[in-house]
Amino acid sequence: MPQNEHIELFQKRYGLRMDHQERQRKKKAREHKLQSKMAQKLIGIKGKIFAKKRYSEKVQLKRTIKAHEEKKTRKKEDGKVPEGAMPAYLLDRENTSQAKLLSSMVKQKRKEKAGKWDVPLPKVRAQSEAEVFRVLKTGKSRRKGWKRLVTKVCFVGEGFTRKPPKYERFVRPMALRFKKAHVTHPELKATFCLPIVGVKKNPSSPMYTSLGVITKGTIIEVNVSELGLVTQGGKVVWGKYAQVTNNPENDGCINAILLV
Amino acid sequence: MSFCTAKTNVSLTSQDFIDIVLSKTQRKTPTVVHKQYKISRIRQFYMRKVKFSQQTFHDKLSTILTDFPKLDDIHPFYADLMNVLYDKDHYKLALGQINIALHLIDNVSKDYVRLLKYGDSLYRCKQLKKAALGRMATIMKRQAQSLQYLEQVRQHLSRLPSIDPNTRTLLICGFPNVGKSSFINKITRADVEVQPYAFTTKSLFVGHTDHRYLRWQVVDTPGILDHPLEDRNTIEMQAIAALAHLRAAILYVMDISEQCGHTIEQQVALFESIKPLFANKPLLVVLNKTDVIRLEELNPEQKALIQGFINDDIPVMEMSTFSEEGVMNVKTEACERLLSHRIEVKIKSKKVEGILNRLHVALPKPRDGCTRPAFVPEKVIEKRLEKGPKIKKKTERDLEVEQEDDYSLDLKKNYDLPADFKYDVIPEFWEGKNIADYIDPDIMAKLEELEREEELRVESGVYEKEEEEMDDEEKEIHRLAGKIREKKAIIAIEGRIGRSGGAPVMPRAGRKRERSVSRLRSEFEELGVDMSNKSGAHFSRTKSRSASRPPIKKARADSAGRVSSSSRVTPRDQSGIRNVELKAKAKKMGHKAQGKMNQFGKAGEADRHIAVKMPRHLYSGKRGIGKTDRR
Repeated sequence: MPQNEHIELFQKRYGLRMDHQERQRKKKAREHKLQSKMAQKLIGIKGKIFAKKRYSEKVQLKRTIKAHEEKKTRKKEDGKVPEGAMPAYLLDRENTSQAKLLSSMVKQKRKEKAGKWDVPLPKVRAQSEAEVFRVLKTGKSRRKGWKRLVTKVCFVGEGFTRKPPKYERFVRPMALRFKKAHVTHPELKATFCLPIVGVKKNPSSPMYTSLGVITKGTIIEVNVSELGLVTQGGKVVWGKYAQVTNNPENDGCINAILLV
Repeated sequence: MSFCTAKTNVSLTSQDFIDIVLSKTQRKTPTVVHKQYKISRIRQFYMRKVKFSQQTFHDKLSTILTDFPKLDDIHPFYADLMNVLYDKDHYKLALGQINIALHLIDNVSKDYVRLLKYGDSLYRCKQLKKAALGRMATIMKRQAQSLQYLEQVRQHLSRLPSIDPNTRTLLICGFPNVGKSSFINKITRADVEVQPYAFTTKSLFVGHTDHRYLRWQVVDTPGILDHPLEDRNTIEMQAIAALAHLRAAILYVMDISEQCGHTIEQQVALFESIKPLFANKPLLVVLNKTDVIRLEELNPEQKALIQGFINDDIPVMEMSTFSEEGVMNVKTEACERLLSHRIEVKIKSKKVEGILNRLHVALPKPRDGCTRPAFVPEKVIEKRLEKGPKIKKKTERDLEVEQEDDYSLDLKKNYDLPADFKYDVIPEFWEGKNIADYIDPDIMAKLEELEREEELRVESGVYEKEEEEMDDEEKEIHRLAGKIREKKAIIAIEGRIGRSGGAPVMPRAGRKRERSVSRLRSEFEELGVDMSNKSGAHFSRTKSRSASRPPIKKARADSAGRVSSSSRVTPRDQSGIRNVELKAKAKKMGHKAQGKMNQFGKAGEADRHIAVKMPRHLYSGKRGIGKTDRR
């Protein structure tokens, strides 16, 4: 025992109080009173936090109680019919006719074709120009309004240099330029931080694509050499497409799903 | 007095950390914002929250980083001990992780503040702030392990014994169960556990003892077994760390009765293996448990081993902590050796010159050759012998030791009363009267006698105070003292009166001259000081400074004796004026001119006044060169 653990040393030599066990028991028994006092007294943000914690505790409690109860009771099994089972008088019929089979085949083919370009977010809200651009007034008396400031997150390439400021029509501020995206692999369920190679298509307008504006639903190309994917022929996969799933200007980061 | 602690009070868990910082942000920053406010105001509101959270995290994390001791800055003994106990690498890693978290949080805040500048709606700014705070909270959540480890380290650090590495120390080492802890229990008040099983002492213990009016530290170590350094466990490594870094006198304790479970040969072998650690330290081999078997009773081979020590100039001493014989001798010997060693080291060092210069032992010079021993008259010597040996009175402590459990302190047994009255319980009051008043049956008679005696004494003048003859000086001093006391009381009362409930007081500069020469004169005359012939005094000089006087210093003159004019600057109201009447006239004119301005409160010529705001020549007309669109 270390030299300055006086309390423990005393307890070791002389033991605990005579009524120690009794006091512990009573203290524990009084705990529920403290809890209820807190629950009634706490207000404001502390009250909300406490209520949340208490709710999750209660949920856990109820679950364990239910589990215990299930063990005790015995449930009667109601006769469930397994799926796909048919009554005896229908057994001999053939269900689909030839015509129906053909039309279903055609439908399948059509779906497959359409599914070639299946993306996780098929439809996104289109962004109007008023949302994406903000008018930047220039000139000595601030009357000329031909410049536009991009208010959404954008990607500019590596060797990007601005046009001379006097002739620059679309201003993409540095704070809103992003180089990396958090890409999730849908099967592996793992997220990686991969550098962006370029913006492939922005669903709202081709102008946004050429500017490099990234909004929700944009298809971007990311550098997946980090994942170490290899094609059938043995070549290393370098770039893949991914679709953006959040609003980057509200979250400050680009979250995307890899399109496999 | 601790030499190595983490200065924080309590470290937090990561969840608490986050809760505290977020609730602090919510309390200390403004909480209300509406979407119809100006966008700059909304942005500022949210940027403030992000920055505040970042600052709070930063402050708390950097206090943690500074409060934990850096292993390179503390004494090597403590650095080694901490390495043994907490693993230096793990410790540094944990602190490194906290440092990384600090920088990451700073970066997050920077990025999001930059993004917030482009937020154009309340919703967007709010989402950005939520994302920023969420990111910081996630970074903190990842530090849960490090924080937990650091909290444990801090708690353990606070429990380390406070060993001063620089003071006089005695270090006790040896096999387990040889009697090290019993020894320290005997010489100090440290209450170390002593048990029959090995490794009872699992960490370093410290006790203090006195010798020659100095404080000595005694450090007890856990037992060391004899195997190579790599195989040693944490407990033994603490002992090794203490041996390696503390400059102390080493007491190597051996059990010659072999009750600890190891033979003398094994103990000597251990000594040889840790001998390198004893370099430059005064060493003492102590043979313990001599109540069981003495050194002479050992067989010759074992005696030869012990003799080996003596041949190597290492002093060997015997003691028994059970019967307490030889314990004090061991302590004294060890202390003496350490003291002389320390003095030697100090003498060899460079600082000794400074100390030696200040030391001087003065011995009285013998007057003549004859010795003068102490003189005791013969009769006294005879009387001493007659008295016989001193009868030692039996103390209560001796009684206590004798009776052990049956002893109880009985203060009434020495009362000077007949035996059957001694243990009676006496109440204090009885029927409304004090018992103490009736202790003695003759008490009334005695009281009357006393009073008579007292009267006689008063009549004869025993109590008359002798009027001491004071000479003039003392009388004067008494008088002055009385006056001073009186004056002090008056000032105190005036001060109290002066504080008349909140009436507005003129500022100091506006008050009339409180300290003037006339006041000084009057006060001193009141006190009786003669102020008549104080013409050359300093205070009188201050009065006459209004007219320009020649300076006291001699005017600077060149070789021909002509005085340079800069030493005698005339004041402004006299420069350019020929004589006194003209001066008076100039003054009068100045006053007159100022009076009108003062009366009407108008701006004077010194007041900044632009008469014409748009002078025509600047705001109209064509220009010869240059454009006119900038006017």
